Amino acid sequence: MIEDTHVSLAHGNGGRLMRALIEEVFARHLADPALDTGADAVPVALPAGEIVVTTDGFTVQPLSFPGGDIGALAVHGTVNDLAVAGARPLYLTLAALIEEGLEIARLERIVASLAGAARAAGVRVVAGDTKVLPRGQGGGIYLALTGIGVRPPGCGLGLGRIETGDAVLVSGPVGDHGIAVMLAREEFGLSGDVVSDAASVLPLTAAIAVLPGLRFMRDPTRGGLATVAHEIARGAGRAVELDEAAIPVRGTTRAVCDMLGYDPLYLASEGRVVAVAAPAAAAAILAAWRALPEGEGAAIIGAIGAAAPADAPVLLRTRIGGARTLPELESDPLPRIC
Amino acid sequence: MPALRIELGGRVQGVGFRPFVYRLARRHGVSGWVRNGLGTVEILAAADPAILDRFTAALLAEAPPTARPGLLGVTPVAEAVEPGFSIRDSAATEGARPAFPPDLAPCPDCLRELADRSDRRAGYPFINCTQCGPRYSLIRRLPYDRANTAMAGFPLCPACRAEYADPLNRRFHAEPVACPDCGPYCRFEAAGAPSAAGEAALAAGLAALRRGLIVAVRGVGGYHLLCDAADQAAVAALRHRKSRPDKPFAVLFPDDARTLDSCVAADAAARAALRGPARPILLLPRRPGAPLAPAIAPGFGTIGAMLADSPLHHLLAEGFGAPLVATSANRSGEPMLTDPDAAAAALAGIADAFLHHDRPIERPVDDSVLRIIDGAPRILRAGRGLCPIERTLPFRLAEPVLALGGHMKSTIALGFADRVVISPHLGDLDDPAALAGLARMAADLQSLYGIAPRRLLVDAHPGYASTRWARAEARARGLDIVPVWHHHAHASALAGEMAPGAAPLLVLTWDGVGLGPDGTLWGGEALLGRPGAWRRVARFRPFRLQGGDAASRAPWRSAAALCWAAGIDPPAGLLPEQGAGIARAAWARDLNCHRTGAAGRLFDAAAALLGLCRVASFEGQGPALLESLADTADDITGPAPGLPLADAADGVIEADWSAALPALLDASVPAARRAAAFHATMAATALAIAETVRRRHGVAAIGLAGGVFQNRNLVERLAPALRAAGFATLFGEAIACNDAGLSFGQIIEYGGRA
Ligand SMILES: [Fe+3]
Ligand SMILES: [Mg+2]
Ligand SMILES: [Zn+2]
Ligand SMILES: [Zn+2]
Repeated sequence: MIEDTHVSLAHGNGGRLMRALIEEVFARHLADPALDTGADAVPVALPAGEIVVTTDGFTVQPLSFPGGDIGALAVHGTVNDLAVAGARPLYLTLAALIEEGLEIARLERIVASLAGAARAAGVRVVAGDTKVLPRGQGGGIYLALTGIGVRPPGCGLGLGRIETGDAVLVSGPVGDHGIAVMLAREEFGLSGDVVSDAASVLPLTAAIAVLPGLRFMRDPTRGGLATVAHEIARGAGRAVELDEAAIPVRGTTRAVCDMLGYDPLYLASEGRVVAVAAPAAAAAILAAWRALPEGEGAAIIGAIGAAAPADAPVLLRTRIGGARTLPELESDPLPRIC
Repeated sequence: MPALRIELGGRVQGVGFRPFVYRLARRHGVSGWVRNGLGTVEILAAADPAILDRFTAALLAEAPPTARPGLLGVTPVAEAVEPGFSIRDSAATEGARPAFPPDLAPCPDCLRELADRSDRRAGYPFINCTQCGPRYSLIRRLPYDRANTAMAGFPLCPACRAEYADPLNRRFHAEPVACPDCGPYCRFEAAGAPSAAGEAALAAGLAALRRGLIVAVRGVGGYHLLCDAADQAAVAALRHRKSRPDKPFAVLFPDDARTLDSCVAADAAARAALRGPARPILLLPRRPGAPLAPAIAPGFGTIGAMLADSPLHHLLAEGFGAPLVATSANRSGEPMLTDPDAAAAALAGIADAFLHHDRPIERPVDDSVLRIIDGAPRILRAGRGLCPIERTLPFRLAEPVLALGGHMKSTIALGFADRVVISPHLGDLDDPAALAGLARMAADLQSLYGIAPRRLLVDAHPGYASTRWARAEARARGLDIVPVWHHHAHASALAGEMAPGAAPLLVLTWDGVGLGPDGTLWGGEALLGRPGAWRRVARFRPFRLQGGDAASRAPWRSAAALCWAAGIDPPAGLLPEQGAGIARAAWARDLNCHRTGAAGRLFDAAAALLGLCRVASFEGQGPALLESLADTADDITGPAPGLPLADAADGVIEADWSAALPALLDASVPAARRAAAFHATMAATALAIAETVRRRHGVAAIGLAGGVFQNRNLVERLAPALRAAGFATLFGEAIACNDAGLSFGQIIEYGGRA
């Protein structure tokens, strides 16, 4: 039984309080028979296929935002990395780094949200760890997850499969997550005007993974669509040509971006998929996506070009018929117009 | 008989230099020969010593008007020389110092023949001779022979061949020589109309213009869009189709003084600049009541005027007999369209008709833009007729370098030994086509001059496309990268052109923003020192500017930032209705903000505060409108107090812009007078900075660098005041004060460090 209202350093010292925290907060919500809170390691059973593993850290501020919180985001982020690799996610491990002083009720909400997201995605959290950081050394809570999944052997996805002329698609409007989190963090009084797109992309990837002609999938998280385009260009050794008018961006997100001087193409989405596919397969992918509630806003947004100049492989055909290169994201993009 | 071997460099090819030498030798009774080297001219001359002296002197003194010969060497040789003088075939010599001739406007002789109905080239739009015609835009490789140009595909007819081979003919070795028998030819194409060739094509083009249509015309360095400059509907359609709502269009005038004078105020200096062989666009004051469509330059007091730069344009301008809009057919910031198929595709929804020709354009080159400021024509954009710009460096480079310039108004420069070659205007590098043009130009310069630089000089801004390109190039080819601070390059460009000597120079570097050594965005500095050793001694008080690159396109952001920082409520209507709160909050919370004291942003702010330009559709729109408004004020010469100066904690003099806000916001004063007063305040501030620095450091010469000084109103207040205060005042002519000068400045700065 937990008597405290806030997490203290004592909850991380390995003793009774820590055991109580793990059992009452984590194990209760995660409620998994395989989760032996006393063991340091657990065996898992895997079906036949290629084992796919990913690991990811989550430090989002604020911890909750319109459309999600760090708990659900952590599951979606990890599961999505497996999903876009063509895998069915099966297991997660969880490390929680909790800052001293976090309200336990809040922690419970986060863990409950995490557990709910995991259940919905059909994954089980099978191992975990908690640490408590001294006050001031963490942003409330950091989560680190490892995901394990399985995909059919000989999965035909990869940057190396991409060919000139392939189509580039996105499953829905981009940048909502980045703007939603930013508005929540900065307390502009506009929080709620934009809702994060954070969600599992499993329905989206499952719907198209079976289609012939799919070459590659990626979720446009940190660095946004432009950064995925750069990964594609580098990996495929070809130019990526995007069509500004075709890229879905919600009106409010665009308006906020315009006002603040941000480019939505560089902002994170947490529930979208970028796919590259043979031109003949693009229509089928689009149809499959649009048939899903998660993929209503899907669009064909560009194409793979010929061999790319190393310094500027991603270009945007602008609405007014011009073109501009989309540079790789700088840590702190300085204005360039003299 | 004594004999000399004479070698000449500089601009000696493509300008009729060998026939000139031939005629000179015949006149002086000199025996021997002349031939082209790789960019040089070599002469073997045998005669009595006194005659040889006169002959050598005359080589320089009497050279053709467009030649710029320099003696590279004169060596006595013991060689038996046959009597008589001949012109020999070009020699491909190693290690030569080529100099490229620029494209030249039609000369008076050719214009006379063009108009002479009995001449076989009457009305032929590709007439040229050794004194005029395309050069740079059609050279494929050196030496400059017809076979190495875009004319290689046009075999000479017997008549042209005879002229080409006759040393006493004006067209002797005029490499692009052409006639109605040899070609090239024009071709007219329009949807729903029969195509036409030759003279009929020209007539069809003129008829289309008279009907108010927009005609794409293939010129020397690329396509122009032409339409009737008096036809408001045509000009408005052009604006709409080009998605170019506000940026002024250039106007092509027929060569008659009455028409020109009815539209612009052009004094003798302006006429000379307009009529120069480069045929630039010259920014001139627009006359009230000018018979030009208002849509040509809405809100502007100037017109970009030009005269025909090619016989084709000449025939169009004279045939139309009235001003024509002549704007580059490419989108702003993009390279010129040069290829007929590409132009037809790119301009499908823009041009109603096309006047193509079949002479290939080897390299795109845009029109040059000049402005007469403080008594002299200043290059704002170097292109056709001026490029490549070749200069002698004030030092010798141990190794060749390639300087990549900035991000906007890009140029690049190749430095080797004591020479530098500066590319024409390449455009804005956000545009992939402009960036590809930069890559082509870099390869082109290296191959034309046979120079392989080991070192790339770049702006220190990591996000400039030129910097990124150089990084990739350096990785791929194992080259060194040398970063140069933006405003050090601006100051060095000024110093490199004006050669102020050894004493320290004070340079005001006022522009938009550029990355400074302290991580803030400079643009309102005064730098003291010399190339390679600049020290910041003054700046504007830094302010927090929100919005990244969007701030440069939205003057309201600068205006709001100044108001907020000064604790003043921005005037009604300044901020966008939607999102004013979020903009304010983002500024207050330092979200996507940068620190700057850029003078260009202060001019932006003033333009927005006066309601002239809240959001710009092209670079520099706000300041340009502010200047035009200031020009209309009744007292444009009134003195004004400068901004207060104080020493900041780091010892740098700081000018506080907040003192200018009350006057800008005082709605009881007409906007024009407020605009003029703002210019006067900025000029007075510059003068006060100069005087303060002189008291402390004893500096005697002051230079003006950076795009802000494209502002004639500002410079014509400031420069006379500086001179009156006893400063030697340096302001460049041949090197643009804007970012087009950065590539040259980077080389000067680099050389100064050695
Ligand atoms: Fe600059
Ligand atoms: Mg990830
Ligand atoms: Zn001529
Ligand atoms: Zn001929």
